[in-house]
Amino acid sequence: MNRTQRTILYILVLITGAAWIALSPLKDGSISAGSAPQTGFTAPDFTLTSITGEDITLSELKGQAVLVNVWATWCPPCKAEMPAMEKVYNEYKDQGFVVLAVNSTFQDTSENILPFTKEYGLTFPVLLDKTGKVTANYQVRSLPSSFFINRQGIITEVVIGGPMSEALLRTRIEEALK
Amino acid sequence: MIEIFQNLFSPPRHMILLVISMWLGLTLAERRSQRHGISSEDLNNVSFYGLLAFVIGGRLLYVIENISAFIKSPLSIFSINPTLFDTVGGIVVAVIAVLVYSQNKELNNWSVFDSLTPLFAVISIGLGLSHLAAKTAFGISTTLPWGIEMWNETRHPVQIYETLASFLLLGLLWRFKQNLQPGITFLIFAALTAFANLFLQTFRADYTPMFNTIRQEQVLLWFVMLACFIAIETQLNKNIQTSESKTG
Repeated sequence: MNRTQRTILYILVLITGAAWIALSPLKDGSISAGSAPQTGFTAPDFTLTSITGEDITLSELKGQAVLVNVWATWCPPCKAEMPAMEKVYNEYKDQGFVVLAVNSTFQDTSENILPFTKEYGLTFPVLLDKTGKVTANYQVRSLPSSFFINRQGIITEVVIGGPMSEALLRTRIEEALK
Repeated sequence: MIEIFQNLFSPPRHMILLVISMWLGLTLAERRSQRHGISSEDLNNVSFYGLLAFVIGGRLLYVIENISAFIKSPLSIFSINPTLFDTVGGIVVAVIAVLVYSQNKELNNWSVFDSLTPLFAVISIGLGLSHLAAKTAFGISTTLPWGIEMWNETRHPVQIYETLASFLLLGLLWRFKQNLQPGITFLIFAALTAFANLFLQTFRADYTPMFNTIRQEQVLLWFVMLACFIAIETQLNKNIQTSESKTG
């Protein structure tokens, strides 16, 4: 292929590319307006009872940044990230940040939960997912799984596995608080 | 079938696919490296230093970008969580490391990138598969019969398109002639990858709008193609001038 042929080929490819860009429609709400446990979607709503007996509904926390952390007492990385979560919760709660620690109770031993929260001195709400519905709705396959939700109720980040470091928590919380 | 695959490699296990693709890619690259005048040892070394620079560079740049978060907990720098990472920064640092190694060993930079091209091609396949496993980089909704159920809708299986395109590019790469000039293999691969992704980006649901009319990612890929074409011509002209001065 000589230089002229190559130049023609380049021009054709670039024009085709530019035309394709211009013709590619921007779909409104390509990321569905519906809820899904994925970045960019509205976080699936739920109502769960906390270990103190209080009912908490996620959608009622709109206007605040929320970290939904799905965990179990037997899970070592869940244990490892609890102190960091407690620390950043106290650091950011005045700015409108909430942690909802959803215990996957259906696959945990319920008697262990209260001693666990006392041992780690957890002050944020610990919710009990007794039926496993929230764990299923959030498609949790690994523990811990964390969902950072912004003030509009949109998931800004999903972190599968752990432990999450303090710096990771801070960067994601600051993003969710924007 | 897809569901079994997604269960098997659900995050964080999807990273395994990237590791496997890296290993396979390096094995393939080794088989072709002599063709570009690069020994297996140099290829392995350059891959090792490149990877190391990618990992360290990506993390350090992320730390610098988010320094206020790390000052409060410096030990987080060593966190095993892969999301504390600047991918683009990591790639830039890796390229610099590869160039420095090549210069120290007096290797032709372009030949080094040519010899690494099979590695990049297989990593592209691994990336498509890991997107499918993690259900990320998903498509817009479709009524086409081959749509897949993902995030409450039937969507274009963009991750599968991405994987198939990468397979095609690898097959094409494997058929390249032996006597291509330095840099041409890599640049053609880069231009074709950019073209394929520019095309496929249309079907992706996650994009950054630009002027509310076009997708920013596609514009970037268009410029990558343009840069590759300019680089191809520069390389070819350079080689013509070199051969002319030798014969003259």
